[in-house]
Amino acid sequence: MILVGLLALTACESYLEEKPSDRVPADEAYKTRNELYLNAVAAIYRDVGGSENCQGLQGTGHGVYDLNTFTTDEAIMPTRGADWYDGGYWQALFLHKFEQADGTGDVWNYLMKEIQGCNGSLARIDKFAKAHPNVNVSDLEAEVRALRAMFYFYAMDLYGRVPVFSSTSPSVADLQVKSRSETYRHIVSELQEVAPQLTEERSNLPGTYYGRMTQGAAYFLLAKLMLNAEVYADDDWTDATHPDGKSIKWNVNGQQMNSWEATICYCDRLQALGYQLEGSFQRNFAVNNEQSLENIYTIPMNKYLYDTQFINLFRSRHYNHAAAMGLNGENGSSATIEAITAFGLKRDLNDMSQLDPRFYMTYYAGTALDLNGNIVLLDDGTPLVYEPWHVALDVSGTAWEKTAGARMAKYEVDPTGTKDGKQSDNDIVLFRYSDVLLMRAEALVRNGQDGSEPFNAVRDRVGATPRDCTLDNILTERLLELAWEGWRRNDLIRFDKFTRSYTDRPQLPGESNHYTIVFPIPGEFLTFTGTEQNPGY
Amino acid sequence: MITRLTAIRKWMVTVVAAVLVTTTGWGQNVASIDSMANVIDEDLTSKQVSNPIEAITGRVAGVTVQKSNNGAAAQSAVRVRGTTSLTGGNDPLIIIDGVMGDLNTLSSIYLGDIESFNVLKDASETAQYGSRGASGVIEVKTKRGSNTGPTFNYNGSVGFSSVYKNLKMLSAGGYRDYLTHTGQMLIDKGYDTDWQREIEQTALLHDHHFAFVGGNERGGYRVSVGYMDHEGIILHDRLRNFTSNMSVHQQLFGGVAVIDIGMFGNILKNRTAVYDVQKTFYSAATWNPTFGTERNASGGWDGFTYANQINHPLALMDSRTEDKTMHLSTHAKLTVNLASEWRLTLFGAYSNNDVTTSQYLPTSIWAHGQAYRGTRKTESLMGNLALNWDHRADAHHITATLYGEAQRDKLTGYCTTTTNFTNDQLGYDAIQAGALTQWDGTRSYREVPSMAAAMVTASYDYADRYSLSATARADASSRFGKNNKWGFFPSVSAAWTLSREAWLRDVAWLDNLKLSAGYGLAGNMGGIDSYMSLNVLMPSGIVPVGNEAMVSLGNPKNINPDLKWEVRRTFNVGLNATMLNGWLSASIDYYNSKTSDMLYLYNVSVPPFSFNKLLDNLGSMSNQGLEISLGATVLQRRDMELNINTNLTWQRNKLLSLSGFYNDYWLEAPTHVDIASLNGAGFHGGNNHIVYQVIGQPLGVFYLPHCTGLKSDGNGGYTYEIADLDNDGEATAASDRQLCGQAMPKVLLGANISFRYRNCDLTLQLNGAFGHKIYNGTALTYMNVNSLPGYNVLADAPKQNIVDQTATDYWLERGDYVNFDYVTLGWNVPMGRAKRWVDRLRLSLTVENLATITGYSGLTPMINSSNVNGTLGVDDKNTYPVARTYSLAVSVYF
Repeated sequence: MILVGLLALTACESYLEEKPSDRVPADEAYKTRNELYLNAVAAIYRDVGGSENCQGLQGTGHGVYDLNTFTTDEAIMPTRGADWYDGGYWQALFLHKFEQADGTGDVWNYLMKEIQGCNGSLARIDKFAKAHPNVNVSDLEAEVRALRAMFYFYAMDLYGRVPVFSSTSPSVADLQVKSRSETYRHIVSELQEVAPQLTEERSNLPGTYYGRMTQGAAYFLLAKLMLNAEVYADDDWTDATHPDGKSIKWNVNGQQMNSWEATICYCDRLQALGYQLEGSFQRNFAVNNEQSLENIYTIPMNKYLYDTQFINLFRSRHYNHAAAMGLNGENGSSATIEAITAFGLKRDLNDMSQLDPRFYMTYYAGTALDLNGNIVLLDDGTPLVYEPWHVALDVSGTAWEKTAGARMAKYEVDPTGTKDGKQSDNDIVLFRYSDVLLMRAEALVRNGQDGSEPFNAVRDRVGATPRDCTLDNILTERLLELAWEGWRRNDLIRFDKFTRSYTDRPQLPGESNHYTIVFPIPGEFLTFTGTEQNPGY
Repeated sequence: MITRLTAIRKWMVTVVAAVLVTTTGWGQNVASIDSMANVIDEDLTSKQVSNPIEAITGRVAGVTVQKSNNGAAAQSAVRVRGTTSLTGGNDPLIIIDGVMGDLNTLSSIYLGDIESFNVLKDASETAQYGSRGASGVIEVKTKRGSNTGPTFNYNGSVGFSSVYKNLKMLSAGGYRDYLTHTGQMLIDKGYDTDWQREIEQTALLHDHHFAFVGGNERGGYRVSVGYMDHEGIILHDRLRNFTSNMSVHQQLFGGVAVIDIGMFGNILKNRTAVYDVQKTFYSAATWNPTFGTERNASGGWDGFTYANQINHPLALMDSRTEDKTMHLSTHAKLTVNLASEWRLTLFGAYSNNDVTTSQYLPTSIWAHGQAYRGTRKTESLMGNLALNWDHRADAHHITATLYGEAQRDKLTGYCTTTTNFTNDQLGYDAIQAGALTQWDGTRSYREVPSMAAAMVTASYDYADRYSLSATARADASSRFGKNNKWGFFPSVSAAWTLSREAWLRDVAWLDNLKLSAGYGLAGNMGGIDSYMSLNVLMPSGIVPVGNEAMVSLGNPKNINPDLKWEVRRTFNVGLNATMLNGWLSASIDYYNSKTSDMLYLYNVSVPPFSFNKLLDNLGSMSNQGLEISLGATVLQRRDMELNINTNLTWQRNKLLSLSGFYNDYWLEAPTHVDIASLNGAGFHGGNNHIVYQVIGQPLGVFYLPHCTGLKSDGNGGYTYEIADLDNDGEATAASDRQLCGQAMPKVLLGANISFRYRNCDLTLQLNGAFGHKIYNGTALTYMNVNSLPGYNVLADAPKQNIVDQTATDYWLERGDYVNFDYVTLGWNVPMGRAKRWVDRLRLSLTVENLATITGYSGLTPMINSSNVNGTLGVDDKNTYPVARTYSLAVSVYF
């Protein structure tokens, strides 16, 4: 009897075991170098873009891009009656009431998930290397470390203090947040260490390194990190003082440099790699922008293959405008008064005397036309006319409820876009060379030198008249050249202008100490690690 | 046992009061001492149901059966003694002739083939089903062959259903007047269309059922086929169900063994144009009434971009969703009487369920159109073995059972979605007419979960007066991690028949009085899917690798290897009595249960977790209730009889806790978590959460700002004035909220009244629910004149001129109702000399959904008030129009 029972139990053990045939045990997914790359490395690249809210560095809603864009004087999501109130999310972002904007914590979760993913990936690579001593995987390791550094860069930029950890199952002790400057120096040293091991090939070009971390991407990040030294090396950003970029020293290839010199050095490196301005500004954002000589790092898009989305156009254009192009629209995001003013738009839209050549390459304003140049009609048969000057935080109930605001036009419309036009073939541009030129110009000026040459090269390319290369003009130029590319918050903070008042955005009580230049850290993390919230929240 | 047999009907809602030996399907005899509600009806075909479960609506205390909507194929939500889990598995286990299934399986049985429903609610009853018993068990027995000569029987009915109540929206005239008067944009196409009427139809319903029954003293057979064809009240809605049921039983070896073989199956087809219930009725109510009902020149439907949350109602009617379900179950049982006191039962069953879903969303409602086709297949093989011992000695009666069971399921499926259709000529029948098939549009899966169980039960009875029984059951499932595969579910129960005691034997008016009590554990694994404890990867995304696109593997959620069963501990006590020679019967039952190790998806910190959700067994919830059933034969004469059966249920649910340690990590759910919210234009995000789960409260409570009244906005409009509940000097819909009632009824009532006069009879079934509230989100939305011109409003809206749709308790209403479920007038035609050819003939006329008595101002108070999901307690633009069904039925026996 007992024997039968025992037999039955042993039989049960196997009977009750799960043997999935539609999934693969984790230990069997990394057997070859190709599988290792695909499942440990490429799997993380997939998350650089996204298809859901808060996921991806750009292209989705409520994510990294929105925190860097709709919190600034560059873009606004007006409440339009029944549309776009979204629980006050957009207004909270614009007004810097970040605690009321549901989902800023999900961006943290996204970035931390990717950092954890990179840690897991490095552990897999390490395990593979031990099991296959003859196969070289050091390039993959360098690549994942560079990728992790990029996610760290965004996390540190958005939240100030972040945990620096390398364990795949970190303990409370592993997760103690570092001061901002420590995290900053860690990211820099990681990138400095791995950059030479990365490929010199282009990342924006379809081929082996399409969408991957390359020297170009790494040096771009290093230039950004150097240029923002005064912000990132500041452990208390609410005390009205910050370190001087000139006195922050770096070792770049054995040479001692200050932050500005280091910025210039990394910009030069990018030039040496062959990056250059495209003849046409718009080619960088064309449907087939993979061949751009200017784009450094992009999110690969293919409307038939990948599920990564790009909603920046979709959520901006008017319904009828989108419909006229055979796509859908959500009639939302618009340019701010500050933005159109900087572009030199006049109340009389026909007065183009001061207008920057990039205005209509960046925005739709006035009468909307379809792709064949026909006027887009509203339901009542009248033409659709975008009203840039009537934009406001809440346009509900006004005659311009549905038409207020200049709309995004920066990327070429892909009329065969899928998923309502949320998927198109234009790769999403994250890093490009005109930013490098402007960084170089800025670093030169900050270092007491003349930055006119790179500065006016950017203006000259679009046929804009040269301007004096002053810090103020550089900030404006960045708005014109890099509008809606996700850098405005970073720029405003560096120029100390993020917390100022502007149209529809009064400074918050207590905001003069700049506490809003970083976002609050999610409560779950604070509770788990016993970390203190960022000051001011 | 109380049995009321009228000459013509055998309606019984009986509370089994004696020690009842039930042959449960899996072949073992269970001596059950607990109360067991048993519903039997011989003439159920007069009500046209799409799933037999609807027949027990309002019949059994403690059981809620609620149709999810008024569509032809609407599913019913069934709750036995409340909601016990937050993650799933709240539907009772359904066992048909020993074959385990769910509510969908039940639609493979024609109601007329059912002999009885046994609803198992008590601790000791549900514990016998171990890991699957926590939400109650409904045993369904189908009719068997007889031991007399062959008979043939036809039941059929024909009827129609038509809408009798719609929302009163502003007519085209009123719409024009208001917009002109207020100087707003008017898009006037010159028509006057009532869109609600335009998408409705008068539905034809007909049912047919044939049964052949026969046999002799050594065996019997029964073969039946049924067909039902039900149109719905919305255009294109149609449900067709073909069922078949066969069973044979035969004695072997001169009666030493009995073999039972049965097979039942169905083909159910359901077609509808309602692919999104809310979008359909929201559009029909609020679409611009000046639009016409004709297609435009290009064959499509005019759009109205200012109403981007809705569609042209007739464009929606161009969409098609079709389901086809094929179910087949076969089962065999061998009972061997080994010796006088020993019996061995072997049972095996195989079932196969195949659901194919096809959907086409035309280009006018979905950019470029979209077609979907998918198949889900569930195969299940199970077997069990039971050895029974039944020993009697003088006044002692002992029974014992040793039982073992094993089951393996195979779940497979695949689906494809294509988009980019040129036009709507082809849909899902030529899915390749869509130019685009995206990577995430095609998928397949396969899961093979297995289960095993072993059980010992024993019962002892002394002199039919005292009885005691105990069960010990162990269950194992492959879905759990290595250390949690097995669960243990014991139970005990006892009963005392007081009326057999000397001191009560002389009380003449008391026929029977019994006190019983039980305690037991039952499990629930509804929230656990396959592979949740394993670190396995699945295709997670497509990435460029070199010049190719490749699929990478990943696991997009946290793994928790420690997941285990939710456990429900129930204590129950009951008193049953029959009096006055069976004229009056009454039972009262009380239960108190607690679900522990309750599963919940917690928000966790990233890092240390990779993802921000973790499912874990932390949390508890309690349910208690009091159930009273009363049956009375008020009048009994030769020509006349009046029977009244009523049941009353009082129930209370409480969410006790959602926190605890996962390893060293403290998990805690927020005290207020929203369950149901409002949707539609202007309701995206924001303070539109209406129903919440709140720790320490019943599941599903309203948590809303308080409206002190309507406030003039100075321009002739009115807004909802919110009270500053937290006294911080600022009244906001976000922070000034209070608890203001629950969504689930506190009291449920069911009553069945039947009256016979000679050969005619009249039966009335009514159901009621009390003590709960309904949020009238439909009125909140449709009273807001600000939604014009995009969305039409209620006819009363301009008069009130509310220009606000902030969700406050202004539209929170009492949900109490009494519904006259149906009334049937029957006539048993006296056959006289014709009896030679026709044994019995009955004609009946039924009106379903006769009337509802309620104070609720919306379309109907019968919205979802039992199923914990995004519609609980909220009437939000998604209610089907209210319809009545009239049907004529004939039943003939040869």
